[in-house]
Amino acid sequence: MTRLLREHPPIDAELDSSGDLVAFRWNGRREPVEVCNRWRVEESWWNQPIARDYFKVAGPRWLALIYLDRVDGSWHLERLYD
Amino acid sequence: MANPSPNVQAALATLRDRWGGAAPRWGGEVLGALAVASRPIPEDEVRPTGRPAIAPFPADERAIPTGFRALDAILGLGGLPRTATTALQGDGTSGKTTLGLRAVAQVQAAGGIAAYLDLARSLDPVEAAARGVALEWLVVLTPDTLEEALSMAAMLLQDRTVDLLLLDLPPLTGDRAGLSAAALGERLHRLAALARRAEVQLLVLEPPNLPAPITGALAQIAALRLELSRRAWIRLGRDVVGQRTEVRVSRDRYGPPGRATEVRIMYADGGPRDACLARDELLGEMAPGSGPRVAVPPPGAAHFGTAPPGGLRPVAGPSAVRPSPSPPKLALPVPADATSPSLLAPPSHSPGPRPVLRTLRGGADRAGRHAVDEWAGPGRQQVGAGAGGSAGHAARRSPPAGAGGAIPRP
Amino acid sequence: MPLGAAHRLAPEARFLDPNPEADGAALEAALDRLAGFSPGVAAEADPTAPGFGRAEVQLDGLERLWGPEPLIASRIGDALAEVLPGPPLAGIGGTRFAAAVAASLAGKAGGTAGAATGAATTGAGRVRLHVVEPGADADFLALLPAATLSRDPEVRARLDRFGLRRIGQVAELPLSAVVARFGAEGEWIHARARGLETEPFRPRRAPERMALALPIEPPVADIEALRFVLHRLAATFGDQLVGRGAAAGRARLTLELDGTFVPGETPPALVIDQRLPEPTSEGLAVERLLLARIEASPPPALVVRLELELGDVAPAAGTQLTLFTPQTGRTGRLGWQLARLGIRFGEHRIGWMEIGDPEAPLAEQRWSWRRPVGSGGVAAPDRERRR
Repeated sequence: MTRLLREHPPIDAELDSSGDLVAFRWNGRREPVEVCNRWRVEESWWNQPIARDYFKVAGPRWLALIYLDRVDGSWHLERLYD
Repeated sequence: MANPSPNVQAALATLRDRWGGAAPRWGGEVLGALAVASRPIPEDEVRPTGRPAIAPFPADERAIPTGFRALDAILGLGGLPRTATTALQGDGTSGKTTLGLRAVAQVQAAGGIAAYLDLARSLDPVEAAARGVALEWLVVLTPDTLEEALSMAAMLLQDRTVDLLLLDLPPLTGDRAGLSAAALGERLHRLAALARRAEVQLLVLEPPNLPAPITGALAQIAALRLELSRRAWIRLGRDVVGQRTEVRVSRDRYGPPGRATEVRIMYADGGPRDACLARDELLGEMAPGSGPRVAVPPPGAAHFGTAPPGGLRPVAGPSAVRPSPSPPKLALPVPADATSPSLLAPPSHSPGPRPVLRTLRGGADRAGRHAVDEWAGPGRQQVGAGAGGSAGHAARRSPPAGAGGAIPRP
Repeated sequence: MPLGAAHRLAPEARFLDPNPEADGAALEAALDRLAGFSPGVAAEADPTAPGFGRAEVQLDGLERLWGPEPLIASRIGDALAEVLPGPPLAGIGGTRFAAAVAASLAGKAGGTAGAATGAATTGAGRVRLHVVEPGADADFLALLPAATLSRDPEVRARLDRFGLRRIGQVAELPLSAVVARFGAEGEWIHARARGLETEPFRPRRAPERMALALPIEPPVADIEALRFVLHRLAATFGDQLVGRGAAAGRARLTLELDGTFVPGETPPALVIDQRLPEPTSEGLAVERLLLARIEASPPPALVVRLELELGDVAPAAGTQLTLFTPQTGRTGRLGWQLARLGIRFGEHRIGWMEIGDPEAPLAEQRWSWRRPVGSGGVAAPDRERRR
């Protein structure tokens, strides 16, 4: 099951030369990851638009769910599988 | 209060034989009535609901089963001790949260009330409910510091109103601690003693790299200490859908330590694809962190667009998924070691196995829903039907977190 | 009889014009005084009604506050002396009927078996008191005329016809025999004769307002000292509620403050409104919750008076057999404990998670918190309240 990090802590995403996600940095630690799934969520475009690209990523320590907030360009960690 | 008459005693004994911990108890007067408890079911039967069955493993009365037979088999009591402290240690994605919440569900199914000290601020009620936790019998406390958590826990224990206390420790940085580590270690000792006296089960989720006095205290107070370490990812195509975890008994007051076993934890996210999780031939393994990235996805699997340098560019059109002919329909059971999935497509007879290695849009976050229906092919209907099957489970108490079904909600 | 004839018979008597208004006002004044002693006061306040002039005071638990029963009666007598023209007759008994009968006998010479007679006199006030020993109601009534059991002349005639002269004779009969002869009324008469309570006590004030206050001399700010006083108030209420078969759903504690030596703006009183996690008659549970509130926001000055008021008082629901889950029977205690935890650590620290829309697109939209009843709230300084 997953843990939902309620505050969606901001993270730094590391992309390679082709623009693919290869690692993210959280709480000072770098986690090299492989993207194993991705999808997009778009909601409430008439209200407060939500546009996120979700990435399910697997790394040496974690299987995690991170997203790119396309509204402001920030990256966040949403879930950790445990 | 008078003791029950022999007739009442006999009746209570019969009920207890049949229902175990869910039977009414004598506490001066009859307390409670029968829980709507699932009867123990044989292992090869598909579990239609997320609630854990009372495990058939012959656990000692002093223990609650973990839900993983292989694990129960190596524990001295055949489960986690009811009136002592258990510590679950594990780094990263190791399964300790899954195990901890499963214990909560088991205690509740047996008629108990649980309290969750959510120091890590990461409890997801939808996930918990999907895995069989009864939210109405789970008190959630959100302390600011470990010190506050221990004070709250002590107050709860004094009145004995809960049966299980789960302390979810985050990796402790300075601001989350409160007191000094040594003082906290001391408080942990006292808490464990209080729990023993109150006969309340204490369960601690222990991340790595805690300050030494705290790990030291946990090592001493835990009657049972399990170390969880992930051995491999389990994959369905490209996606990671589960893990294989080794559980080692590093301490067991009730039996010999040092035993180890493996459990498989599957991440059912709710959707027709979950049925694939039961099909071993569809699953592959990968040691975590190894292996090259697959450049060309296998047919039917997700196709990931690439973006130009400078950042990810929104991919035109549906980014990942091609409509599938139909979701797989199986008659095979979910492996006994799987976490109860939040949703199981109802088993039905299939004309033959179909190798549909399709990773659906939508992961554990159920983010597959889109505000705008991008395509409506026959595949969509199938997805809807698959998800609709879950809605037929009227017995479910918490509504299943469904997949697909892209109806925009204002 | 005509007034003149009466004059001739009793030349020394004083004859007053009837003044129902004044009578009514006097009774109201008396009842107000009585209310200061007990939250359970009932009376027939209509001056034209036959029962006018009789007041009932529920004494359960009051010995904590005012001392043993005869002393309570004496203090009541003192309080009433200012508003009544003469010493009232008082009776103390285990049932309303026994107490009323005792009162009618108060002051008469001689006693009856099982009862203590005596006139409690004190100072300027005087009350003529007849006390029935606890549990001795049936004995007390036994030798009294059976006609006392009912005001109905039909019933009285019938009692006489059957040769039942004393209450004790009625009490000795089996219930079935009495019911056979008197019908449904017989059950009632029989119970009365045996010293059983037949009429629920209905305090006059509605909606039910139960309030008691104690002055604190010397004034204190110490939590322990406040607890001592609060305990007496809460326990008294508990006894009263149990005696009435009722339970309270709300509590209000008013701490009247002494602002003399505290600089700045001190409100005259600290008012704590506390919703109870469930209706209760357990004084101790209410006390603990209120203490948690006091500890969370201690009074800014010395407390000179403590008033406890219980609200939402209603007949207590019978204990229900909890169905469907074993946990349900324990929610009561759990609710109280969580309320205390919420008061101590903050309302937003305790609760249950509830799933709203599990299909909502964003995880945070799918669920919400439910907080325990009575876990929140801050003591509100009330500038308006001043006695």
